[in-house]
Amino acid sequence: MNSELIATAPATGGTPVNGHVSLGTSCTIHEVQALRAHMMAQAAHTGPFEIDGGNVQQVDTAGVQLVVAFALDCLERGVPYSWKGRSQVLDEAVRVLGVGALLESPG
Amino acid sequence: MSLDLTQFHETFFAESAEALDQMEAALLKLSAGDADLDLVNTIFRVAHSIKGGSATFGFSDVAGFTHILETLLDQMRGGKRRVDSALVDTLLRSCDLMRAMLADTQAKRPVDKARVSALHAEIELIMAGQAEAAPVPAMSAPARAAVPQLAPEEIRSGWRIHFVPGPKLLRNGNDPLRLLRELQTLAPCDIRVDAKWVPPLTDLDPEECRLSWKIEVNGPVKEAAIKSVFDWVEGECDLNIEAFGPAAEAAVAPSAPAAPAPAVELPAVAPAPVASVAAAAPVPAAGAAPAATPTAAHADGGSIRVSIEKIDELLNSVGELVITQSVLSQLAAPLEGHEAEQLRNALGQLERHMRGLQESVMRVRMLPISVVFNRFPRLVRDLGQRLGKKLELRLTGDSTELDKTVLEKIGDPLVHLVRNALDHGIESPEMRLAAGKPAHGVIELSAYHKGGNVIVEVSDDGGGLKREKILAKARERGLVGADEELSEDRIYNLIFAPGFSTADVVSDVSGRGVGMDVVKRNINELGGHVQIHSTAGKGSMVRIRLPLTLAILDGQLARVGEEVYVVPIVSIVETIQVREEAVGSVANRAQVLRLRDDYLPIVRLYDLFGIEPQYTELLDGLLMIVEADGKRVGLFVDELMSQQQVVIKSLETNFRPVSGLAGATMLGDGRVALILDIPGIIARFESREGRRGAATRAA
Repeated sequence: MNSELIATAPATGGTPVNGHVSLGTSCTIHEVQALRAHMMAQAAHTGPFEIDGGNVQQVDTAGVQLVVAFALDCLERGVPYSWKGRSQVLDEAVRVLGVGALLESPG
Repeated sequence: MSLDLTQFHETFFAESAEALDQMEAALLKLSAGDADLDLVNTIFRVAHSIKGGSATFGFSDVAGFTHILETLLDQMRGGKRRVDSALVDTLLRSCDLMRAMLADTQAKRPVDKARVSALHAEIELIMAGQAEAAPVPAMSAPARAAVPQLAPEEIRSGWRIHFVPGPKLLRNGNDPLRLLRELQTLAPCDIRVDAKWVPPLTDLDPEECRLSWKIEVNGPVKEAAIKSVFDWVEGECDLNIEAFGPAAEAAVAPSAPAAPAPAVELPAVAPAPVASVAAAAPVPAAGAAPAATPTAAHADGGSIRVSIEKIDELLNSVGELVITQSVLSQLAAPLEGHEAEQLRNALGQLERHMRGLQESVMRVRMLPISVVFNRFPRLVRDLGQRLGKKLELRLTGDSTELDKTVLEKIGDPLVHLVRNALDHGIESPEMRLAAGKPAHGVIELSAYHKGGNVIVEVSDDGGGLKREKILAKARERGLVGADEELSEDRIYNLIFAPGFSTADVVSDVSGRGVGMDVVKRNINELGGHVQIHSTAGKGSMVRIRLPLTLAILDGQLARVGEEVYVVPIVSIVETIQVREEAVGSVANRAQVLRLRDDYLPIVRLYDLFGIEPQYTELLDGLLMIVEADGKRVGLFVDELMSQQQVVIKSLETNFRPVSGLAGATMLGDGRVALILDIPGIIARFESREGRRGAATRAA
């Protein structure tokens, strides 16, 4: 698995974060099972969360769908999240799949 | 769970091969001057899909090459690249290279890096050296302008697509991201995702696609182009495609003259795709448009890929059932009483159902002959260039269906025939003009059904066969006696003799005399026949008659002593009882039958196979007049039995090849019956008579 998942990370900027999800360099169907397991581990925290997609070099629908599921969970729980970064590759996938609005943090 | 993508490799290779055939066909149309943007889009999509697939599966060589090819094709689509014959040549060679790379990858061989590098460099040179900033008339801006020239029924303002991936779509190696990207290459798209079926993370199987999309393609795009984007996921998704805009409304106008405007104002179309969310509220269908066009995927029906081995296993099982049913019928025949009658009625029904089942399975093995014909546009184009001849290829009846095995074996003989026709048949443009013909030579391949057979014809409007030259050459080689007179048919048939060639110049295309004998042998091995018709100065036609299938044949059962043989009905001309005065002998030895104005050799099957007959006197038995390769003989048998369809079991596979026998089958009473190969019987008879004649002369 290429994705590097970090359980917790220090707060960035002014908002303290309680969980940090790094999407790693590859966020595809090959990695989604492991990525989901780590996201669920993160979801046990109260949040807010920080998603780091800045290093993503490979992405597919399965990867984006997983991020959407995570974002919808946050939305449902009213837990804010923020993007630490989104690579050009990830941005393009988000745009093509039309999920941009779903990945806007409620917070 | 880790996804094993190797299970999808074979499907990818098979689909890529089909896609490359489409690409080649589109390139050949482009080369013929058809400047249709859809053709360029088709070519682009093939490269794009193969690139995406090979990247997914980690075939980096293929992905790398298709990437640069895609860039070049994108320039063509964008109007920055003139489409001329040199560019089409490069693209055709790229198509060949991709085929070779995929074949190497499939066989786990290293790809030919030198060839890849050379073509890669050539494409880079084209892109770097000839950047054509200005739109060029052949393809770019005019090509886009060409879109409105589409048939009026195909012009739409846009398309609304509802795309709901099936749960296994992602696991099968498909990716909506790739499809939506591809869709956006056709026209600006408005994409709305529906995420309402995405469950909480705890319940989500992340390898299942739970997102779906509503897409508006805003532009005059052909429906076929939209559908082809989804070709790769047909059967794995719910897909609904509807037209919108003036043309679509016009299409429904007769039944809905006052079609209201769309109920929902759609978002403005931005040059770049606009993404928005329609989570729980689906977009209502626009106005009265729903019945305007048929839906796409469902209307086409689904299809699945099944290996030929599985179909053959099924066919084999059906064959065994046919035999069992036949055994039951025989057992029931002598029974008496009301219940026996009912049993026989039921068995009659079973027989009808069995025949239906057998025919259904046979149909599964049938493929259109276009699978073979599709290779000829390229062949004719390339050979025309090499030989300096102007050629037009006409294909007719390419939807005619044939058994897959027959199709696989007919390809090479047809290639030989076409190459011969192009090299020797069709004259140079100068010669044609001098002969008062158009400079363009025409070669035509046609296929059609006739009397339970498929006829394939290869004809040309060239100079025709040179009768005198063939005869002279045959006499020179001792194939024909100095004073021997031959019919036109027999003279033309001489070109099928091994090593026979009248070509003055041996080229790398044809002329070595190798090929036509192989053509005939291959066709005969398929149970087919070949005939030639030719008219001096007007052209030639080779007609091939092929059986629909190699797995089943209609046979006449004939008994010789205790043995039962199956004679293919297609070979039987008639069956007669011999009259004494009709039998004569040649050189006091071989018996012949005088039948009307002809003399036919008499072949005694018991003699040929060394078995004990019931009758040895011709007057007691029957003569079946059979024909193969233009030769007729009388086959002496004790009696005729029933006619039936038999499932052919290969002797080669189960025993060993035996000359004169095409295979074996199981009869209703459990006995094995041998199936006669009439051309082989005649050859075996002639060979034996030849040896006997030589022995007599020597004595």
